[in-house]
Amino acid sequence: MLDLIDALQSVADGVLFGATYALLGIGFTLIFGVMHKINLSYAAASIGAAYASLLLLAGVKAPPVLVFLMAAACGGVIGALVYFVAFRFIPLANPLATLMSTVGLLLLIDEIVVHATAGVPLNYPALFSDVVIRAGAFNLRGDLMFVFALGCVAMVLLWALLYRTRLGIATRAVSQQPVAAQLCGISIDGVNILTFVITGVLGGLAGAMTGAAIGVLSPLLSLPLTVKGLIVTVIGGLGSIPGAIVAGLLVGGIENVVQFFRGVSERDLYVMMLLFAFLVFRPGGLFAPAAGRD
Amino acid sequence: MLELRRLTKYFGGVRAVDGVDLTVAEGEILGLIGPNGSGKSTIINLICGLFPLTDGEVVFRGTDISTLPPHERVALGIARTFQNIRLFGQLTVWQNLWVAQKARGQGRGFLRGWLGGSRHDRVAIDKTLDFFDLGHKRDELAGNLAFGEQRRLEFARAFAAKPSLLLLDEPAAGMNAEEIDQLDARIRQLRREGVTIVLIEHHVELVMSVTDRIAVLNFGQKIAEGTPAEIQTNPLVREAYLGTQTAA
Amino acid sequence: MDFYLGLVQIIGVHTLLGLSAYCVLLTGQVSLAQAGFFAVGAYVAGMLTVLGGWPLIPALAVASLAAGIVACAVGFPALRVKGLMLVVATTAFGEAVRLFFFNFTYQLERGELRIGPHGGEGFRQIRYFPENGWSTLDVMLFIWVVVIAVMAALWWMDRSRIGAVLRAVGEDELAAQSSGINVTAVKVSAMTIGGLIAGLGGGLFAHYTTHIEHVQFGVVLATFAVAYPILGGLSNVFGTLIAVIFIQGFLIEGLRFMGDWRNLLFGGLIVLAMIVRPRGLIDAGTLVALKRLLRRGERAGA
Repeated sequence: MLDLIDALQSVADGVLFGATYALLGIGFTLIFGVMHKINLSYAAASIGAAYASLLLLAGVKAPPVLVFLMAAACGGVIGALVYFVAFRFIPLANPLATLMSTVGLLLLIDEIVVHATAGVPLNYPALFSDVVIRAGAFNLRGDLMFVFALGCVAMVLLWALLYRTRLGIATRAVSQQPVAAQLCGISIDGVNILTFVITGVLGGLAGAMTGAAIGVLSPLLSLPLTVKGLIVTVIGGLGSIPGAIVAGLLVGGIENVVQFFRGVSERDLYVMMLLFAFLVFRPGGLFAPAAGRD
Repeated sequence: MLELRRLTKYFGGVRAVDGVDLTVAEGEILGLIGPNGSGKSTIINLICGLFPLTDGEVVFRGTDISTLPPHERVALGIARTFQNIRLFGQLTVWQNLWVAQKARGQGRGFLRGWLGGSRHDRVAIDKTLDFFDLGHKRDELAGNLAFGEQRRLEFARAFAAKPSLLLLDEPAAGMNAEEIDQLDARIRQLRREGVTIVLIEHHVELVMSVTDRIAVLNFGQKIAEGTPAEIQTNPLVREAYLGTQTAA
Repeated sequence: MDFYLGLVQIIGVHTLLGLSAYCVLLTGQVSLAQAGFFAVGAYVAGMLTVLGGWPLIPALAVASLAAGIVACAVGFPALRVKGLMLVVATTAFGEAVRLFFFNFTYQLERGELRIGPHGGEGFRQIRYFPENGWSTLDVMLFIWVVVIAVMAALWWMDRSRIGAVLRAVGEDELAAQSSGINVTAVKVSAMTIGGLIAGLGGGLFAHYTTHIEHVQFGVVLATFAVAYPILGGLSNVFGTLIAVIFIQGFLIEGLRFMGDWRNLLFGGLIVLAMIVRPRGLIDAGTLVALKRLLRRGERAGA
């Protein structure tokens, strides 16, 4: 009985942390939706943004909320930079080249972080880390609850931006019909930059949330987060935002419960198996967009 | 030679091809015409097996090939060109034909076809290139050719598969008058060599001059079939197809 | 001197890794599973010589075959998806292989020693070369004999119809199908050939490092594997070799004097290279231009 409660507890913790995966998944999915390209530097940039927020506010004793907002802002700026460095000047018809340039950027961002911090992991501020909400037999950690809530707020804002503003309509128009959108006077370049800024902001938040949930930031986080983010994107269905959210929470919950039963060394093995199961039985993902003409 | 029985294809709710019956006889040139979106290219794609059928059958030389994958249909002797040119741009002109050339023979001959290609195969490719007036471009990258040359290379690549049935999807699109005359001559020459041809084309003069028989499609259905002369006087066709031209 | 011999060994093994990705890339597929095949080759070859007491060459052959079989088996389901999905599927497969070896323990008693793979601690004491009195130079030469043999085979394959067909599938699957090519068979074959080569490379790697562990076969190695051919260009095998020399020789070893800055430059130069030469350092256009130049030279000479 105790085991069951502990197991459910670990699922709950995992789902709460899964909000970070969901944000990263949304980022990958959005960029893919608009440009049909993979941005492999995305998770590294997110961690980079979280680092930047710490370094920029190193002098002042900033409250954690300010650090989080700073991370989001840095994420947006880094997002735009990523676009200019790794996408803007490479022909669209060459998917391999952008794939490689984002790999280069991934390495570059990681190295900049290592260079700036001498490779030492930094402590990241967390909110409500001393608060524990008791719900029946369960303890909900305050810092994880906050991370989860922050993720939800970001998702709601994103939804409002995409579906309730002109900017969002332009973005969706470009992702669906790039040529027609251009003829309607929408600047593709503008929409691309905007997408990278939006995804950058989400990434910055995800980086900050990761830092807050784990307590430290390290450049070693960026590769595992890249892999998890990509897995979430595929399980959720390419291009599907609700899919990325559900898949993020799902992966977070499953990896934690596997860790509880099988130990940390086998945790990711089961996540990979989950992905294979999806690729074999439901290659379109949870929320596959309606099949096209072929 | 080729028989389409109640050929049907829906894309979602759209009936792209709706119960078309069509027969192509050995050695003839059949024109397939109709307004844009009437289902001509979809029929070609269905004959080649690029989409699964919703209903109906594709029968080639008496056997039902409806479920065969595309490459096996090519092996049976069905080759095609694409309306929007689809060459292997980073391969040379010569290699484009090499890819399509049927690997003939069994055992050692088969192996040689894959590894080096026999002298006979190489000569055959050179001959095809000369026939399509591309011999002087053989080592050029296909992607670097001029538009007219790319169209000819598409045609040459389809022919290199040694088809008995050749499906041409708007081979004259974007060509000038002189190039169309050459195309006309090449189609006639191929017919003399015994190749059966299905020709989709918007260029009315070419269709009228080169085909033996014409089938007209509108909204996924066959609305008329007959000799070019019959088609030109058919009131239904006038309304659906030629009519739109006279109106414009 | 040993330092340079060691570097040349690394370049040789990484060339094999890059070539394994090259085969798959020709068909237009980005596979990040190559590090997984490499790991399979490394562990199988190591276990055969250390635990089975096999001689090196049959052990390498079996390792290569094992990786090839795994690649073929992965190829069928994985190649049903394309693009990003394939990248993620193959990444996950590579990671699954790594995590398998992370949890894989199979040890035998040898005197007072326990030998064999030991989970997270890895697989130590793959001492075939020192035990049989191979010098570093011998090892280096042996590796390069293998590399040159593989490169020659691929060079020849590239110039045969197989090469043209692989590239045709990479350019346009639909057109290739319509030209009578069985696209699935071609892609799975390419994956299998890639697996064979990666397994061979992994087997050599296990023996010259003498100690392998799961972290060596992670996403980074998989990324390097595809980075070499993409950076070098897909027009022929030498692009991959040049990219390996450029990255391992120049960026990693050559710039060592720059200390920390080297790593910064590393990522930056990859980005720059892709912006300047999106089709790789040596592309098909370069070859045609070279050919034309040579022909002009001949004519001028005649």
